[in-house]
Amino acid sequence: MATAEITLDSDIQSDTLALVKSSILNKGGTQALLDQTTGLNKIIFTATTNVILLDSSAAGVGKAAKVYIANKSTDSSEYVTITINAQIIGRLYAGDWMFIPWSQSDAAGNIELAPSVATALPVEYMTIHEGLTPVSA
Amino acid sequence: MATTTAQLVITSTDLLSDSLSLSAISTLTTAGTSTGVTQTTGLSRKTTASTDQYTIYQGDYYTNDKAHKIYLKNLSATAAEFFTVTIDDSPMGRIYAGDWAFIPWSAAGGVLAAFTVTFAATWATGDTFAFDGITTTLADTETTVALVDLIKNKKFPNWTVVETSASVVTFTSKNSNYLGLIEIGTSSDDAVSTTAGNGTGTVARTVTAVASASDIKITPSVGTAMTLEHMLFHE
Repeated sequence: MATAEITLDSDIQSDTLALVKSSILNKGGTQALLDQTTGLNKIIFTATTNVILLDSSAAGVGKAAKVYIANKSTDSSEYVTITINAQIIGRLYAGDWMFIPWSQSDAAGNIELAPSVATALPVEYMTIHEGLTPVSA
Repeated sequence: MATTTAQLVITSTDLLSDSLSLSAISTLTTAGTSTGVTQTTGLSRKTTASTDQYTIYQGDYYTNDKAHKIYLKNLSATAAEFFTVTIDDSPMGRIYAGDWAFIPWSAAGGVLAAFTVTFAATWATGDTFAFDGITTTLADTETTVALVDLIKNKKFPNWTVVETSASVVTFTSKNSNYLGLIEIGTSSDDAVSTTAGNGTGTVARTVTAVASASDIKITPSVGTAMTLEHMLFHE
């Protein structure tokens, strides 16, 4: 069983925010547990080229995969631009992370990443999923 | 300075042979700086009642290419129920019952349509100018200058209006996703003028709309009540 917990603390508002939510990572529409993962990956990018970080596959269409991506840079000006299905989602600046559902709606549902700098920019990522289609040799 | 932190902990003892205990914590800062974000929508809830698509956050209202972050959680307790999260028209994924997501957001807004209406000749008592559900009716025969004054003081739900010159008003859409062509006439669906005299209103499009490209939308899987909890931290 895998669980994902988020804690959000903020004093932006007069009423401080202290939100803690935990979810058990289940397969889509069931209480069966997600049981596959890519494991935690780390890549140090040295070019600003937009690359496919996670390749959408038929086995994942309409499923309940989760994706974690973190920009591990310590330079606050450095960011990575995250795209899905050719649509920009947003930027992860140094230290930022994201945790999103990924239903791989079609073959074009790749998750892509473009670093803002060509100097070494480290990124960690992982998906916990129901199945990916291996690429034929 | 406001401080906002977001921490993720993913744990599993049986997904892999080695226990997983991943922790990531970030202080939410404005783009490219060490300054904390200072604005938020606050924690909100949206209960849906159909399988229509709902827009949760619209790119028009936030500065693009910043370090905005969105929190979403499906509060349903029925495992089969999910929201499909879409950015513009691209599906991102499904958040099933109990699932949550934390998403960076570029907030790329669109271009708001704008057009002018140039009034001329004489507008008589009882003449009307109707647009966006708001009708301006003349109580007396008016000059075009007075007509412009009457119109610019109206509140239009989907458009803002300003006086461009003595006889001209400019309407600007509040929503870039309105892409229609505004036409004036006595039977148009858009701007309608009804004149007993010889008054005219000539429409000229000045800005062509470009739809927002990054609205955050959700589509519930069922038409019965489902609730999404959501929050945006923004610049």
